[in-house]
Amino acid sequence: MCPPNTPPARAATATADDTEFRTLLDRLSDKATADYYNPFTTFDWPATIPTDELWMSPELLSLHGTELMDELSTAQLQALSRWESVNFYSLNVHGIRELLIEVTRRVHTPGFELPSEFFHHFIGEENDHMWFFATFCLKYAGKIYPDKSVKLPEAPRDPDIENFLVFARILVFEQIVDHYNVQLAADRRLHPTVRHINRLHHQDESRHIAFGCRLVHLLWERLLDRGLDEAARHELRGYLGRYLTTSIESLYNPAAYRDAGLPDGFALRRRLLAHPARQAAHAKVLHKTTGFLNRIGVFDDHR
Amino acid sequence: MDDVTKPVVDWLLERNPTVDEIPEDLDLIENRLIDSLGFMEFVLLLEDLIGRELQLDQIDVDQFRTLRSLTHHFLKG
Repeated sequence: MCPPNTPPARAATATADDTEFRTLLDRLSDKATADYYNPFTTFDWPATIPTDELWMSPELLSLHGTELMDELSTAQLQALSRWESVNFYSLNVHGIRELLIEVTRRVHTPGFELPSEFFHHFIGEENDHMWFFATFCLKYAGKIYPDKSVKLPEAPRDPDIENFLVFARILVFEQIVDHYNVQLAADRRLHPTVRHINRLHHQDESRHIAFGCRLVHLLWERLLDRGLDEAARHELRGYLGRYLTTSIESLYNPAAYRDAGLPDGFALRRRLLAHPARQAAHAKVLHKTTGFLNRIGVFDDHR
Repeated sequence: MDDVTKPVVDWLLERNPTVDEIPEDLDLIENRLIDSLGFMEFVLLLEDLIGRELQLDQIDVDQFRTLRSLTHHFLKG
């Protein structure tokens, strides 16, 4: 998580000789080197993962806390946990593709001189994560759920705003995923392979999140230093709020409901998204992210 | 209003409370009734209405621009 007592970012750019940022980057790079593992030899991939077991903790399923959860048979619960886990890993594959494109586009470009060394660790590790999540989906489910996002033609943003949003989106994505990783890694009801991929992902993401918090804070301070006006702040706040919502909503996939044998997937998704128990669950998943964005002043508490 | 477009129009109006009506040839993307963030939900709605998954790597965004085009490409028959 983002440290609560992060010192205020100086009104400096990521290119300035920011001793504190450099110290963090050195520490995270050293830790990445020390923790390095070869993903292609690390995992024991069993031939199958039994389908009469849980693949995801029931507490993390999109029906949890609703009356619909109680109506599921054991077999339905297992099927839902299997297909929602495949959806979760599929979302990781697609999310990582996007962040790899964006970070690779920025490594060793003006404005990112300081974090570029760490970007190499980041890019390498994200490539590893994408590989093991995709392998899990293809080996045990025979598919990766397709990406439903499309980038529509939109007017280009100011480059500093775009940089801020890119790394804010990456941070949001990583923090949501990490909430799931931590619980899945610790859940003794789950298969060792499931726990292993989630544990390793959490280990790497802890560094990425620490880095992301600092970089997002710096990029935000850079925008403020440039005199970001209230209208632009309002627009950014609205965009990120919707991004948080959309990210959570992607966990409610009608195709996964169909594969689990639950009818009317789109109607079920809408019913669940409006359910008070699910809205409380979303707040729990997002609390670190909203807390951080409130603390640095992107959101205000009355959002 | 055409019955086949009603669920789409309802969805668009629900997400754009300042809009009263949506002419058939209004550019939904240029006028930001749909944007990149809202597009995923919109695709899921369309898939639900037509009863099949859309292959998004093969789509032409222009097919989603107006109610007329959506009707022609997805909702009729």
